Amino acid sequence: MQINDLLENTGEWLKGQGEDADIVISSRARLARNLVQFPFISRATQAQRRRLEELLRDTITTACADANLSYFPLAEASALDSRVLMERHLISRELAEGKGPRGVAISPDETISVMVNEEDHLRMQAIHSGLDLKNTWEEISGIDNALEAHLNYAFSPKLGYLTACPTNVGTGLRVSVMLHLPGMVITKQIEKAFEAVTKMNLAVRGLYGEGTQAHGDFYQISNQITLGRSEEELLESVGAVVPALVTYERMARQTLLKENRPTVEDRVFRSLGVLQNARIISSQEVLLHLSSLRMGINLGLISEIKPEVVNELFILAQPAHLQKLEGRELGEHGRDIARAGFMRRQLGMN
Amino acid sequence: MRCQICKKKVATVHLTDLVADGEKRELHLCEECAQEKGVALKAQETTVADILSAILSSSQLAKQRSEFAKVSCPACGISYSDFLSSGRLGCGNDYNVFDKALTPFLEKVQGSSRHTGKVPSRVGEDVVKTNELVRLRQELRQAVEKEQYERAAQVRDRIQALERKGYADK
Repeated sequence: MQINDLLENTGEWLKGQGEDADIVISSRARLARNLVQFPFISRATQAQRRRLEELLRDTITTACADANLSYFPLAEASALDSRVLMERHLISRELAEGKGPRGVAISPDETISVMVNEEDHLRMQAIHSGLDLKNTWEEISGIDNALEAHLNYAFSPKLGYLTACPTNVGTGLRVSVMLHLPGMVITKQIEKAFEAVTKMNLAVRGLYGEGTQAHGDFYQISNQITLGRSEEELLESVGAVVPALVTYERMARQTLLKENRPTVEDRVFRSLGVLQNARIISSQEVLLHLSSLRMGINLGLISEIKPEVVNELFILAQPAHLQKLEGRELGEHGRDIARAGFMRRQLGMN
Repeated sequence: MRCQICKKKVATVHLTDLVADGEKRELHLCEECAQEKGVALKAQETTVADILSAILSSSQLAKQRSEFAKVSCPACGISYSDFLSSGRLGCGNDYNVFDKALTPFLEKVQGSSRHTGKVPSRVGEDVVKTNELVRLRQELRQAVEKEQYERAAQVRDRIQALERKGYADK
């Protein structure tokens, strides 16, 4: 499989299926693991990183044969290809922008990805559409078990799985749920809700994780703590706040409709108008309007556009995807023109 | 100087923007208008290194600080000050080498310094059982604190059953 082949399809997690999929975009579980016989990546030599990559690539492809993973070495990949993987949430920004021997193994439906030589030797994730933490965790735990049969993990009975950063030590597990919360943003309830979430030892982040702004009203809720709790307790701590946020978001949307239907409709249809007619549009502006459009579809104000089409557009509107779709490298202004044209075609205009 | 947007409050945020053709544009805004425009600097995220230094300077560990500075890991060669500045460890052995500084850090940030989750099967069943014992004892303490005596009794029975099998806390 080549990176370009990924562009033929959409990741399973964007299909918009599963529980509360109108608000819960995806559920993700990520494990950090290191091998006992090598130093962590920041202290590893080039030769050690090369040996790590070879060993891990072979183990991943043989031990997880059922998952049918394809390995992409990133040392020789173009910056554009790496960025495509990042925009699809298959690799982190750190791996995309990193240097030296490193790579990622990906399943055909993009539900599983295993990063090699990121901050830790192994960072493996499972991601699914909608609220589905238990299955997501079990899937990645299965991959972990398959790998562990062939590898000697750095593990201490007292501290658990040892990681390069002490904020991941213990379970090495980060569970996260991505939510689309435009109603709470418009009604200005979002800050208050996140204050409460933060008090429960959970972190709130933007669309592309650590250090990113919340674009397009997308927010990721994840566990802050990785040590001293079992994996099930961590799943529970994240899973427990989601139903409340889903309820608040539904209430916010209904209140908006009931109290000020014309304002909501105006916002949604103006966004549709911009997306169908703009000639130049930045990725920031596109996210803003796609977010209103997505809410409009979920509220039943627009029926001719399918929700999964909009989910996909959030990813396809990103810079690297756009350049791949156009088949050439573009500067910022060129991308903004191409993006506007792409949106018009996708949303039935010329 | 007044804020260029609201024209009322004092401008405290001063920006120089590079516009096209190398031309400069200056902006002088008050805190509120700057945040509204999304240009104000947000409070920096606290890093691992920040928390570590805070713990070290505030606790009784301060005295040992100069001693720590000399410590480095025989396996990966990382020194304590390397760790302090990057917040990243060099190898698994560092958790032993820097134990005195890491334990209070983990207790503060993670709320615990004891793993109770998954264990690699090759590490052995006794670790799994030990972890379960630790977890059950935590549960027992919580149940007693909340006066849930029925639950406490059930947890106590499970602890005793495990202990009878010879899995003592390590």
